[in-house]
Amino acid sequence: MWDNVLTVEGLTKTFGRRRVLSDVSFNVGTGEVLGLIGPNGAGKTTVLECIAGLLPSDSGTIAYRGDRLSVNRRKDALFYLPDGILPWAQQTVRWVLTFFEKLYSRSPQKLIAPLRLEEVARSRVATLSKGERKRVLLALGLLTPHPLLLLDEPFDGLDLRQTRDVMSLLRSESAAGRTLFVSIHQLVDAEKVCDRLVLLNAGKRVAEGTLTELRAQANLQDGGLEEIFLALT
Amino acid sequence: MRSLSFVRLVAKELRELFASRAFWLLLLFVGLLAGHGFITAVGLYAEMSGSGGPAALPQGLTSLDGVLVPTWGAYDLAATLLFPFVAIRMVSSEKESGALKLLLQLPGTLVSKVTAKALVLLFAWIVSWVPGVIAIVLWRSYGGHVYTPETLNLLLGHLLRGSLSGGLAVAAAAVAESAASAAIITLAFTVGTWALDFVAAGRGGFVQQLASYTPTAALRSFEQGLLRWNAVVVFVLLSCAAFGVAVIWLNTGRTIRSRLLSTLVLLIVTVGAVWVGAGVRASWDVSENRRNSFSAVDEALLRGIDQPLKITVFLSPEDPRLTDFEQNVLRKLRRSISKLEVDYAAASRTGLFEGADEHYGEIWYELGGQKIVDRSTIEEVVLEQIYKLAGVNVPERSTDDGFPGYPLATQPKHAAAIFYVIWPLLVCVAWWVSRKL
Repeated sequence: MWDNVLTVEGLTKTFGRRRVLSDVSFNVGTGEVLGLIGPNGAGKTTVLECIAGLLPSDSGTIAYRGDRLSVNRRKDALFYLPDGILPWAQQTVRWVLTFFEKLYSRSPQKLIAPLRLEEVARSRVATLSKGERKRVLLALGLLTPHPLLLLDEPFDGLDLRQTRDVMSLLRSESAAGRTLFVSIHQLVDAEKVCDRLVLLNAGKRVAEGTLTELRAQANLQDGGLEEIFLALT
Repeated sequence: MRSLSFVRLVAKELRELFASRAFWLLLLFVGLLAGHGFITAVGLYAEMSGSGGPAALPQGLTSLDGVLVPTWGAYDLAATLLFPFVAIRMVSSEKESGALKLLLQLPGTLVSKVTAKALVLLFAWIVSWVPGVIAIVLWRSYGGHVYTPETLNLLLGHLLRGSLSGGLAVAAAAVAESAASAAIITLAFTVGTWALDFVAAGRGGFVQQLASYTPTAALRSFEQGLLRWNAVVVFVLLSCAAFGVAVIWLNTGRTIRSRLLSTLVLLIVTVGAVWVGAGVRASWDVSENRRNSFSAVDEALLRGIDQPLKITVFLSPEDPRLTDFEQNVLRKLRRSISKLEVDYAAASRTGLFEGADEHYGEIWYELGGQKIVDRSTIEEVVLEQIYKLAGVNVPERSTDDGFPGYPLATQPKHAAAIFYVIWPLLVCVAWWVSRKL
């Protein structure tokens, strides 16, 4: 049982007439790696952006360690790393990393080898491949000092070896006491890295728990996350 | 720690500015434009200063009108058509690339982040002045006269013009989804102010008052050596409001309704502040030839008139006599008489079809229940009519206004090489070096 670092209750969001989140509630435990899984269009990114305060929700509350967290205070408690962005594209990777390093007074040294940053340090962000860009973005996220880190699709664009390295890095962050809330659409990856999972489908929270708990909710004796997902959705 | 974060944000914006092609293109083109303006102006000035022309012409020549304003006219063009793109890029590139999502989460308030952008934009605008300053230095090296107060006043006008232009472009970029939409909004605003200028010419009343604060019109008073306190206040207020709009709209965590409401409140507060600021009539004539003022004796007499003076002008906006009257008389009267009302009574724009109107061409002066009708737009004649109405004796006037004029028949030596060859090369080298940093 984890102490809750973040509590999300009744999160609802509509874009025009389209409701993309309906009364979504779940908890994020201290030091855990919580996975947010669901198919494309399930509302995973919207959940993360609403929690980060980058997108206004229609209703719902976000509490941090039991206290309601206003939008203005979100960036003090958590950091959200979006997927598919190309920040400061004309700058070199070295400069972008140094900018974050100086801003947060944290050294990127331990990230250089696992994320293979040395080989792209002199390149401009605009010239990076999808995988390289993802590694640089992960480095930026991991350079922040926030106790809670929200990652949107951290393995998207990475090859098998890189995925394993990043998983190991995330696990070590978690072991060091940092809480990770990770959106993943690859269920195999989610199963490997997450302590608990929140299953989202069509904007609704379908289930929440460890793999064993989810299996019980899906009335399955065994089977992986794919089978659970298919059974519950 | 907070100030350190702010310094780093400013440093980031500086790097982004140097990485922006729009900035280097601004520098390149503004150099060519200022250079062309300078070379043409020096040539014309030499022609007017040389022998063969009317004797009075060289004596009235001023560097401000003859060289500085035409050269720095390039910056009015740049503030309208080039600089907004530098400002738009600073916001739109982060919105479109997703970097804004990171920026919003970095330490510091959104106000400090937009302030960092504003400071760097101001820096970019001042850096773009280098060709204009080179032109002034060249003019001095030719033996040209530069009167410091009116030159600094001109620079202040361009500083405020650039701030407003940058602020509006940043606001447009914050509100619009894309850079292209922001550019359209910015240009639409500029065209709108031009239309307002056109419509307000010779109209009087609120429309004319409003039009006197359009960027072009407000800059004109600085170009004429007049430092209007209300123009400074309005420029500063509008620039701050524009950056304020950017702060509101870059906060993506707020609903559209909430952002609209905040914008409305900001606009109401700004309009109120502008209204108060515009009411401040203090102005300083910093021109060397005191072109915006009557003689000291006349000013003292006019200030002594405490009854309201009403002037009704039956001249259409495109009639050159109205332009003369505005430039030589009304502008000065507005600074000298506090209770002045000007009514523009012509019905048409050109005056072509008002021949049948028996009053067309007349100017009525009403003061203390008396009225005088006249047709002259000459300063001395107008003042005599006003003195007659006020029961004041016409003072003795000297025929010499004390301003010598600064004719100079010279050629723009080395200017073509500096502005058309060396400056573009310097910009290209600086751009290349900045890419290596």
